[in-house]
Amino acid sequence: MASITISNVTKAFGDVVVLREFNEVFHDKEFVTLLGPSGCGKTTMLRMIAGFEKPTTGEIKIGDRVVSGAGTFVPPEKRGIGMVFQSYAVWPHMNVFDNVAYPLKIAKRPKEEIKRKVEHILEIVHLSQYAERFPMQLSGGQQQRVALGRALIAEPSVLLLDEPLSNLDAKLRESMRFEIKQIQRDFGITVVYVTHDQTEAMAMSDRIFVINRGVIQQVGSPTEVYRKPANQFVADFVGTINFLRGEVKNGRIELAGLGQSIPYDGIYKGKVVVAIRPENMSLLPTDKASLTGKLTRTFYLGDVTDCRVDVGGGQYLRLVADSRSYDSLTEDQELTVYIDDFLVYEDDGREDHTKIIT
Amino acid sequence: MLETEKRFVDKLKTYLLFAGPTTLVFVTVIILPFLFGIYLTFTNWDGISKAYTFVSFSNYKQVFQDPAFWTSFLRTVKYVFWTVLIVNGLGFFLAYALTGNTVKGQNLLRTGFFVPNLIGGIILGLVWRFIFSNVLVFIGRTLNVGFLSYSWLANPNKALWTLVIVSVWQYSGYMMIIFIAGLSNIPKELLEAATIDGASGFHRLRTIVLPLMVPAFIVTVFLTIQRGFMVYDVNLALTNGGPFKSTELISMHVYEKAFLAQQYGVGQSQAFFLFVLVAAISLTQVYFTKKLEVEV
Repeated sequence: MASITISNVTKAFGDVVVLREFNEVFHDKEFVTLLGPSGCGKTTMLRMIAGFEKPTTGEIKIGDRVVSGAGTFVPPEKRGIGMVFQSYAVWPHMNVFDNVAYPLKIAKRPKEEIKRKVEHILEIVHLSQYAERFPMQLSGGQQQRVALGRALIAEPSVLLLDEPLSNLDAKLRESMRFEIKQIQRDFGITVVYVTHDQTEAMAMSDRIFVINRGVIQQVGSPTEVYRKPANQFVADFVGTINFLRGEVKNGRIELAGLGQSIPYDGIYKGKVVVAIRPENMSLLPTDKASLTGKLTRTFYLGDVTDCRVDVGGGQYLRLVADSRSYDSLTEDQELTVYIDDFLVYEDDGREDHTKIIT
Repeated sequence: MLETEKRFVDKLKTYLLFAGPTTLVFVTVIILPFLFGIYLTFTNWDGISKAYTFVSFSNYKQVFQDPAFWTSFLRTVKYVFWTVLIVNGLGFFLAYALTGNTVKGQNLLRTGFFVPNLIGGIILGLVWRFIFSNVLVFIGRTLNVGFLSYSWLANPNKALWTLVIVSVWQYSGYMMIIFIAGLSNIPKELLEAATIDGASGFHRLRTIVLPLMVPAFIVTVFLTIQRGFMVYDVNLALTNGGPFKSTELISMHVYEKAFLAQQYGVGQSQAFFLFVLVAAISLTQVYFTKKLEVEV
């Protein structure tokens, strides 16, 4: 059983509180991602699970065993976990074989067993022909796979990954995402993955924990987090979104500064913020809601076209859709944007949620 | 053709302007005497008189036939061996203990261990002479500790160790600084990765830290060997070669030969021989240890 139970964990460095009241369970064999911007506390949480930091208050259990808590602390080398670092942390003075064999050598396994297991792991991470090479002779992606192999070879029940793909180029990141997910399925391990890249989080996770400034904003599957973001931060951080301020009046939301309104039958009253995903707007008529505006800019991205539409009051909407439907449009053209779906939040008056797009 | 010449002349002018004076001093004070010294090794100059004759290789023959030279040399080798071993061992131990903020007052301790290096050799020797002959003897006699009750400086068997002790005291701090720099260069994540894989502190030290410290050891071993062979000031101030020449190390012996025994030619030959030997040892050491070096 390799679930991770985090009970009331708070972490402060001196006066600075980095994580507040973290109270969650990561289930056995689950792929969990801690997602958030830099400095939100996700790496600190990972390091506390690993044992490199101690919680200021609270308790962490791996399986049924308390590893960090009042009066107990199990050091990292005794926790039976694997970890992959952002900088790979492969040892430069050992070749690939010795790097991957290291955990087994420490456990004093017999030579034949080590050889067999290392060769098996190297096959899984596609590095069999590089066994004699040294890290400085390998590319970033290959070094990352060495680190992954080394983390897996001792057959840990928990695998921790700290932004492992940040230093790789885009195409490699995509293929490594798939490989990691596949390995997790094949080995049946619990994975805690830390990243600020929401595409990675969505592609790989069973559940995403969105964190900001030490506080969990939302926990859910990728679909839930994307389609039903719990607050403006999550809506903004995961994917792209357009924010428009307005006020609820008579079954409609009057959008501030635009002189336009959209129908609304939800629960909020008073000042609100409307959040619309770019892909939920199109030029094809729907009967849900619509806004008029002027097309100011288009960015051709190959598979889609990214457009800016000026809807008045200095506000722009960002639309994304299949390129060909936009081929016939010209800049400065007046058009009507149809909205398929939108979210509404209460307006707490803070400015940092409203996006200003150029 | 003319343009390249002009550029060369320009470069030469710039060089002479900036590096000229220093090069001149270096050549006149070090290079020329060195070369002249080599010339003198082929003469029988006594260091004072105006006349001397060319004697070709007879001085060098005397070097190999002088038993005092070889005794002194072996004594120096023994001294260098222990000094290099203890200075590097202690220096590394101090650096390892005083890195990573595990010990309170780390910076103060580092400074404290480094300070002996700043004291000049003569003063160092005299202070320790006082400690060995007076302070330790006093402690030994008062507390009835046998091996401290008589000054080690008066004992031909123990006197060499006084030199080792003083050199260790003088240089450990300096080597500690070099090791601290080397340790700080090891990325923290490399050690954390080893920890996660199950390595205890000692195992990490052996398999990760020490291999990555090889560049630092290349430097420190080279420095300690070179300084060990060339030691003179501490030798003079602490023991002056005594008792009964049992601590006369090689630099002191050469000095005696050249200036006090007035056999300048022989003395210089010994010195030159020493130079070649130390250069050979140092270069060999650097060559072989460099092979162990790895890029982090």
